[in-house]
Amino acid sequence: MPESTDNAPAVELTDITKRFGDVVANDGVDFSLRRGSVHAVVGENGAGKTTLMKVLYGLYDPDEGTVTVDGEPRTFESPRDAIDAGVGMIHQHFQLVDTMTVLQNIVLGHEPSKNGLVDDREARERVREICDAYGFSVDEHLDADVEDLGLGVQQHVEIVKSLYRGAETLIFDEPTAVLTPQEVEGLFDVMDALTDDGRSLVFITHKLDEAMTAADEITVLRDGSAVGTVDADETSRNELARMMVGREVLFDAEPRELSPGDVALSVDGVCADDERGIRQVDDVSFAVREGEILGVAGVEGNGQRELIETITGMRGAERGVVALFGDDITELSRRERIESGIAYVPGDRTREGLVQEYSLVKNALLGNQTVEPFADGAFLDWRAITDHADAIVEEYDVRPADADATAESLSGGNQQKFVVGRELERNPSLLVAAHPTRGVDIGSIEFIHERLREMRDEGVAVVLVSSKLDEVKRLSDRTAVMYEGEFVDVVDPGDVTEEELGLMMAGQSLDDPDTVALDAGGDA
Amino acid sequence: MSAVRDAIGGRSAFVGGLALLAAALLVFLVADVPGSDLVTVGAMERALQAATPIALAAIGGLYAEKSGVFNIGLEGFMIFGALFGAVTAWTASGGDGVGQADLWFGVLVATLVCGLLAALFAVLLIRYEADQIVAGLAVWFIGLGFGPFISTVVWGGVSSPSLPNIDNVVVPVLSEVPIAGRLFFDASPLVMFTVLLAVGAWVVLFRTRYGYWVQAAGENPEALDTAGVDVNRVRYATLVFSGLMAGLGGAVLSIGIGSGFTGTGVTMVDGRGWIAIVAYLFGNYNPLGTYGASLLFGAMDMLQIQLQTVGISLPGSITGLFPYVAVLVVLVVVGYTRVPAAVGEPYAKED
Amino acid sequence: MSDAGASHVRAALDRIVDRMLRASVLERIVIAIVSTTLALVIGAGIVALSGYDAVEFVYSLVYGAVGELSNVAFTLRQSTMLILAGVAVAVAFRAGVLNIGVQGQFVVGGFAATLAILFLTPLLPANTVAGVVLMVVAGGAAVAAGGAYGALPGLMKAYAGANEVITTIMLNFIASGVVYFLLDAYLRPPGAAAPNTESFPDYVDLPGFAFGSPSFSVIGFGIALVTVAVVYVYMTQTGSGYDLVTSGYQEPAAKYSGVDPNRMIVRTMTLSGMIAGLAGALFAVMILGYYSDPNTFPTFGFDAIAVSLLAANNPLGVIPAGLLFGGLDAGGQYIGFTLDVPSELVDGVIGLIVLFVAAPELFRAAGRYTGLGGDAG
Repeated sequence: MPESTDNAPAVELTDITKRFGDVVANDGVDFSLRRGSVHAVVGENGAGKTTLMKVLYGLYDPDEGTVTVDGEPRTFESPRDAIDAGVGMIHQHFQLVDTMTVLQNIVLGHEPSKNGLVDDREARERVREICDAYGFSVDEHLDADVEDLGLGVQQHVEIVKSLYRGAETLIFDEPTAVLTPQEVEGLFDVMDALTDDGRSLVFITHKLDEAMTAADEITVLRDGSAVGTVDADETSRNELARMMVGREVLFDAEPRELSPGDVALSVDGVCADDERGIRQVDDVSFAVREGEILGVAGVEGNGQRELIETITGMRGAERGVVALFGDDITELSRRERIESGIAYVPGDRTREGLVQEYSLVKNALLGNQTVEPFADGAFLDWRAITDHADAIVEEYDVRPADADATAESLSGGNQQKFVVGRELERNPSLLVAAHPTRGVDIGSIEFIHERLREMRDEGVAVVLVSSKLDEVKRLSDRTAVMYEGEFVDVVDPGDVTEEELGLMMAGQSLDDPDTVALDAGGDA
Repeated sequence: MSAVRDAIGGRSAFVGGLALLAAALLVFLVADVPGSDLVTVGAMERALQAATPIALAAIGGLYAEKSGVFNIGLEGFMIFGALFGAVTAWTASGGDGVGQADLWFGVLVATLVCGLLAALFAVLLIRYEADQIVAGLAVWFIGLGFGPFISTVVWGGVSSPSLPNIDNVVVPVLSEVPIAGRLFFDASPLVMFTVLLAVGAWVVLFRTRYGYWVQAAGENPEALDTAGVDVNRVRYATLVFSGLMAGLGGAVLSIGIGSGFTGTGVTMVDGRGWIAIVAYLFGNYNPLGTYGASLLFGAMDMLQIQLQTVGISLPGSITGLFPYVAVLVVLVVVGYTRVPAAVGEPYAKED
Repeated sequence: MSDAGASHVRAALDRIVDRMLRASVLERIVIAIVSTTLALVIGAGIVALSGYDAVEFVYSLVYGAVGELSNVAFTLRQSTMLILAGVAVAVAFRAGVLNIGVQGQFVVGGFAATLAILFLTPLLPANTVAGVVLMVVAGGAAVAAGGAYGALPGLMKAYAGANEVITTIMLNFIASGVVYFLLDAYLRPPGAAAPNTESFPDYVDLPGFAFGSPSFSVIGFGIALVTVAVVYVYMTQTGSGYDLVTSGYQEPAAKYSGVDPNRMIVRTMTLSGMIAGLAGALFAVMILGYYSDPNTFPTFGFDAIAVSLLAANNPLGVIPAGLLFGGLDAGGQYIGFTLDVPSELVDGVIGLIVLFVAAPELFRAAGRYTGLGGDAG
């Protein structure tokens, strides 16, 4: 074993620059990972965090700069080289083959073989060794198809995969996006176990609290450059946010004035299945009044999508009643629901909300094909549509301000502003917004939040689904938490702590004795 | 347990159906039940023969699609295989009667040439990201055009003169076994080869690392890439394999079990390339299931002859449609098969 | 030319090509032209390799297409059919539904038209007005039959998930087989050797003025053009057409905007089949004058796929593409009569054109390689 000084960094990135056409994703970034430590990399969407790590992992070639692993400069042609050098990555979107088993996924690309066939027994043994060493329970599911397992377990499979390949340095790319707060704790425990064993971890995130909890050091990236590296113990959320954004950011929710009106939307005993026939919405009932925002919090994948689709008409309910101002709309088609005044900002803006190859003018028509000024009998009035598109672009700060530009030429934030604008301009009585600020830059996020509040103040009933807890807390007047197809509870966001919300997201309601005990003895 | 699961492709209804079918066939063969005249050993022999070209193309196409590239041009490759088999055999014989050696040589050359053509096709599909469906259709048109054209250049007409086909091989002792003996051990070697190929294809796909890579390339190519395996190389390999197999299937059709190349209308391939695609969809991307489905379609093909022997005489134009109707029924009933998630999308590594 | 001069020209070429590659409609036209030329060059090369005279081949091709008035008439006749069938294909492909069954729908439509004419002729007087009425009724029958035959695979796809490429191909075979059977068994006049129906009366035909051809009428060509115009207006100016095109781009977005995906699939296939049926009626009335074994019919339905692809599934583009393929067809047949070269070669060339059109990336790469076009593409 070569002699390695404990002081030498496990990984060092020096002066890394990476360009994509005109865009400079990384600009002369220096990064140094101390052996046996957890080093967080934080920044907004588009700051260059993932790009930097993809350079380290061999997915990208840097245009300038060097990558040094264990003191030796390296050039990685592909992830295979990075893996050989002991660098592993746990991707944000798991690199797992759904239809293959856990065992097959773990050994993929490094299959032990005997006589041309895969040596099943050897593979199992080696995986068991790893699981025993770190306390993973993945070895109980070796023959299950990955798609049948929960996301938390899938993530463990990803980690075991990297360890199986001999990774000494592990990169975690936004690992907590799909986890409940309890699963996040579990992940931090795993990280501790790995560092105790001498491995070095990089933790990419935009969640400042997690960075401060889990990491030893934090490097902040902004617009492709490294702004600075601080000690996790010695910094604060505000300092980090200021480094990330370059200006002060407000964290506190604003006080709200509540005066809700009639019941606009009522959902009663609704059940819905997903494409595979599996029940995703299980007997959900709630009501939303005019002039209030009902936030639906929860980890993605607990039925929120199917619930939204049942309300907006994209999916039929198996049971139950959906009513708009008292009228039963359960059997109405999607088109009919649009016509009855329901606006919908879809969670998947690239596939559903916009036609990427269409201009903004043509996209302005989406959902409006049968609506009065734009449709004249069977024919379309393109001039009216163009005017409308121009109006949206101006009102909603879409940049560049060109309605003839194609949707795909716009950044995520601008695309979203356009979609939000189009939907809000319907003068709806009910607005359903799913993940309205996903993949959107901070400036646009503030803009969209303002508009949502305006809608509420004007008397529109709003249903807001989001996996960003802080967004839900800031915007909603009442917060529902969804877990495994059911509403665990509906609470006043001002009355609960994030920890309590986290428990609800994991299925434990506020009345549960465990939660009560926590409330009594524990500290938020 | 997972071996059995893999073998049946996870569809117990399908297995149940097959078992029932096998049992029914046995009953018909052995007992003197009404309708048993339809099922004879001769019929089964013919069904096996008819199934062979389809199965070959289907197994090749299965691998390609499983790895994420849809080779919809199987029909075109089969036309080329049929044509080149006949042309090569005829040319090799030099004018004094086509012998067995010439025929085998023809089969070999046809297979290799189609593999080469598939390599070119693969370059278009993978490197130049051609639309897979359009390019596949183009291959069909090209086959429909250049097949008869080359035939005319060689023989002066769109069809070849009548040619002999590959002799059966008789395995001593084993061929005396009732039923199975005649079916498998006194049959065209190509039939046997295809059965073995189906088994081999199953083993490779589900039990070797290459098979894992094929599966991963079709479901989640990024996962395979980050595992360090070149996705596109896997896809090139499967595409070339599908070309080899479709070419072999075509050659079997013309000089393996047929009597030369017929290039009239839509050529002698007559939709078998399309049926092959349905066969592997029906077989749920499982080589064994695919072989079974090919048998089913092969049997449909032979049904006309069987019906005549029983005295039911339907016009040829109607009985000739049985395979196509069977395909429709299968597609409607089976309908949604889970297609590999990444099919049709070129895999481009960002750099 | 001096270095400075050469680099000026180069820079100018650069700018032109750059602009061409950026404008996607123009890009498509360039690709279409280059694909065709390349395919023809390869075709000529194969002809030469096979021992024939390549120059004579190309010359005959062109002469056969436009060399004399009767050739032009023949080209236009074929183009009429290809344009109509091409629009049928384009409507479906645009909506993302791959209707490979236009040939079968065309056969069924023509058959329905034939039946209408044969059964109604005895009931009406024998004059031109009756002829017009018969043709209109026949057209209606063809449209209805073609639409129904197109709706069938549409329903199978929408409600059973059956892949439409395969079902429509199967239905092509089935249409030919069944129609042949019916002709042979029931519609063949007694004592006739070939499976043809009786001929239509003289007054059931489109007048062949201007070109003096018995099988081509400018009215037929006009019908094709009108159909293209109607389809174009439908796609660009109506809400229903917008839905169809959107469904072809992104079905989830279409669904989000209120389109019922299943109904859209069936509607698209029906519309496509209806136009194909109309083409069949035109074929029966204008070109044949009776009905016959579908297996002997020209493969307009398949060639129409190539036409539509070359036109990037744009109904307007189908017109020049249809004219081009009509010319190729006419030239090919002329070659078949006058030269030794087998006419199937032209089918092969068509296949090559489609292949090249399928790989636009090939041309962008070629552009990059030769250094033209700046850094576009």
